[in-house]
Amino acid sequence: MQNVVFGIVTGSILAVATLGFALVRQTENFLNIAHAQMMALGAFVGVVLVDTYGMNIFLAGAITVVGLGALGVVLSAVFFQPVRHQGGTVLLFTSIGLALMMYAAILALFGTQARFYPDVSGGLHRFAGIGIATNELVIIGLAFGSIAALQIFLNSTGLGRAIRAVASNDDLARVRGVPVRTVSNTIWFISSAFGAMAGVMLGVLGAVNTEIGWHNILIVLAAAVLGGLRSITGVILAGLLLGIMMDVSALFIPTAYRPVVAFGVLVAVLILRPEGILSVQRRKDAVVA
Amino acid sequence: MELVLDTVRKTFGGVVAVDDVSAVMPQDRVTALIGPNGAGKTTLFNAITGFDPPDRGSISFGDQRIDGLPPWRVAELGLIRTFQTPVGFTTLTVRESLLAAATPHFAETPLGALGLSRKARDHERASGDRAEEISAELGMADLLDVRTDELSAGDRKLLEFARSLMAEPKMLLLDEPAAAVAPANIGRLSQLVRRLCDERGLGSLIIDHNLSFLMQIADEVHVLDRGALLASGPPAEIAANPDVMRVYLGEDGAKDSEA
Amino acid sequence: MTNPIFWVGVLTLAAIYASLAMALNVESGWGGMWDLGIAGLLAAGSYCYVILTADPDLGMRFAPGLSMWVAWPLSALFTGLVAFAIGAPALRLRREYFLITTLAFAEIIRQLVVIQADLTRGTLGVPNINRPFDSFVTGRDYNYVLLGIAVAAAAVMYLVTRQIGISPFGRTLRAARDNEAVALALGKRVNRMRIKTFVLAGVLIGATAPVYLFYIRAVSPQLFAPGITFTVWTALVIGGLGSIRGGLAGAFVLIVFTEAVGLIEVDPSHINILVAIEPFMVGLLLVLVLRFRPDGLFSERSAFGAGNRPAGRSAGDSRPAGAAQGSGG
Ligand SMILES: Nc1ncnc2c1ncn2[C@@H]1O[C@H](COP(=O)(O)OP(=O)(O)OP(=O)(O)O)[C@@H](O)[C@H]1O
Ligand SMILES: [Mg+2]
Repeated sequence: MQNVVFGIVTGSILAVATLGFALVRQTENFLNIAHAQMMALGAFVGVVLVDTYGMNIFLAGAITVVGLGALGVVLSAVFFQPVRHQGGTVLLFTSIGLALMMYAAILALFGTQARFYPDVSGGLHRFAGIGIATNELVIIGLAFGSIAALQIFLNSTGLGRAIRAVASNDDLARVRGVPVRTVSNTIWFISSAFGAMAGVMLGVLGAVNTEIGWHNILIVLAAAVLGGLRSITGVILAGLLLGIMMDVSALFIPTAYRPVVAFGVLVAVLILRPEGILSVQRRKDAVVA
Repeated sequence: MELVLDTVRKTFGGVVAVDDVSAVMPQDRVTALIGPNGAGKTTLFNAITGFDPPDRGSISFGDQRIDGLPPWRVAELGLIRTFQTPVGFTTLTVRESLLAAATPHFAETPLGALGLSRKARDHERASGDRAEEISAELGMADLLDVRTDELSAGDRKLLEFARSLMAEPKMLLLDEPAAAVAPANIGRLSQLVRRLCDERGLGSLIIDHNLSFLMQIADEVHVLDRGALLASGPPAEIAANPDVMRVYLGEDGAKDSEA
Repeated sequence: MTNPIFWVGVLTLAAIYASLAMALNVESGWGGMWDLGIAGLLAAGSYCYVILTADPDLGMRFAPGLSMWVAWPLSALFTGLVAFAIGAPALRLRREYFLITTLAFAEIIRQLVVIQADLTRGTLGVPNINRPFDSFVTGRDYNYVLLGIAVAAAAVMYLVTRQIGISPFGRTLRAARDNEAVALALGKRVNRMRIKTFVLAGVLIGATAPVYLFYIRAVSPQLFAPGITFTVWTALVIGGLGSIRGGLAGAFVLIVFTEAVGLIEVDPSHINILVAIEPFMVGLLLVLVLRFRPDGLFSERSAFGAGNRPAGRSAGDSRPAGAAQGSGG
């Protein structure tokens, strides 16, 4: 049971990260490999603000999230806008290039030493023999709070509805009212901010090191694919499920296998149950007439 | 030998695209398949060639059941189709496209590529000659070294046809081969289709909206309307059929203009 | 500038990356399979070679201590098998999903190497890889031998991949990449052909793996992080995806350029910047090439001699292009 709780914490973070990733995948139509580097950057910026400048963790988190959200908008304008017309593959490889550059920037700015957030666990609570730290509760709360806020934003504001229209490929909706650039910038802001938030949360729970991005990109991809890249609920469920599976599997097999579990699930889903993903795609490829 | 359809049905959601069609198409004759837009002609091609298997009914070619076979297997049996939208092998030249169509399986393995056998070389040379012959007959000899994506739509349509000839067909299934093709080349096309049938017994099943082109070369015409077979018979009979006239004139006046 | 041994090393590394990029080109450039699992295949080949040739004294559970000349081809074959195990299921998926799957398989392989420590020594790694001829040539001179081996391997790779590219097999591969439906309609067994190609690329990568080990000298799992896959891809994209010479040219440009930038004098207190230079340069070059020269230095078009639309009339009925295709050059 204890591991299920760990899994829920991991899964909430994963859901936040994956939502940001899936949003770009749905609207800009490419897999943004640099997304996980935004998580790493978030973890580092947060730790520097807290550890080096002695900032309060919540203030530091807020500054990181907003700052990196803005950075995401700038990066998308510099890197992705100019090659947008060249299609998904060029965008994907551009995002790999950007990921490498961000990784290099992280190395250069923060060095290869692992860093730690000061202890902000805030004591352990026990419910029926299961322990959960205050910070873990706060993380779960913040994760679902932001997901709910995103949900409300997407459903009940004009801008949010425009984003959903773009995501569902409804070209008619594009022309109505909201400028395309505003929609695109908002998407990048939200996506990057969610990535950065997940990064800070990961950092609070563990060590902050330069490899966070590469370690997490596949787990995010796995959650995104498992969730079907489409619905918010799907992504949340996939994130939680993967998180729980990774942490519960630790009971039966060595913890070293933790990432392998995620990739194994990913491969299994892709290969054993490709219908949802595949049928539409294959049709398009197969019958040209 | 013949291509036999027996109560073939194909639906997409609620739409019955092919509605219990039964027909016999001799392998050594020219058969036309006509009908207004959306009648289900292309869907029937997809069902025959394994791209989109029928929901029920059976399809056979000679004594072989072919419904449910994968497309490459249907092609191996000699049923070679062309596509309504002529995209082709975009980055290959016309010559490469034709040669690729003719390449036998034994030359298509990595090891075959490394120690190219004499047999494969001879085959390649013979295919090269045939590619030039066919392209000359279709008036596209000067396009042999042009990339497919640089051809005009009409030339790509001709390439579809030429390519299918390179693949050692027993019967051709041509989806609107004359659409967008220049009038002079339509003449060459119909002569070639007719001649292949008369001299070499290579028949075709042809979809087209250009009725004057079809009526000249077809031995038999099938009319499809909203998925169902409306009429079958020799061209003269079909041309005189009041039901067919109604379907064509009543619902769809501009069926000939595609270019 | 600096000493020649440094540049010998750079050229050796470039030749190794060139081999990998040319192997990748067969499956990705011509086969259209976007494989992000190079690191995994390289790991499979490397560890196969290491385990088969390791010194039994290192305490690995299985260490037959084979001669390197036996282990080398076995590594290539083993990598082909691994490629088959990955490719057979993964090739049912299209583009994006294929790409994710191969990336995931590569990570699984790397994690397995870490976990199976009694077989692979895990994160400890294996030092002192056996290298050919190192009993005859020692010390710094061995770097020249290594350069010779790497260049010879790249030359063989060039000839092999070039032959595949200009053969009817390569042509059908490109045809199926351009339009799968048309290839199927002509009777091509597209999927089977792709699996064969994927396995072939695996064999070629597995054959390159030992050369990489000779250069690195000591193997450990973190060598096979996704970074190396991205570097090989960058080399290929720079050189020109789908062109015969692309991987070769791109690898030399990328590696020489990156290493040259690494020579810039940096204050030792900024050691971090030194570490960051390589990924930064690779990423920057990838982004710039995609933006300003998406076809790379050599385009596929130039490789396969597609002429332009005839300006006036065609050049008669001579047919050198067709003949060249048949005889293989
Ligand atoms: N993949 C598909 N999914 C859903 N509906 C389809 C699909 N393919 C065809 N249809 C529908 O089936 C019907 C028949 O289409 P089909 O393309 O076979 O017509 P056609 O006779 O070839 O018309 P045209 O002369 O315009 O080419 C149409 O209503 C079409 O919308
Ligand atoms: Mg049609």
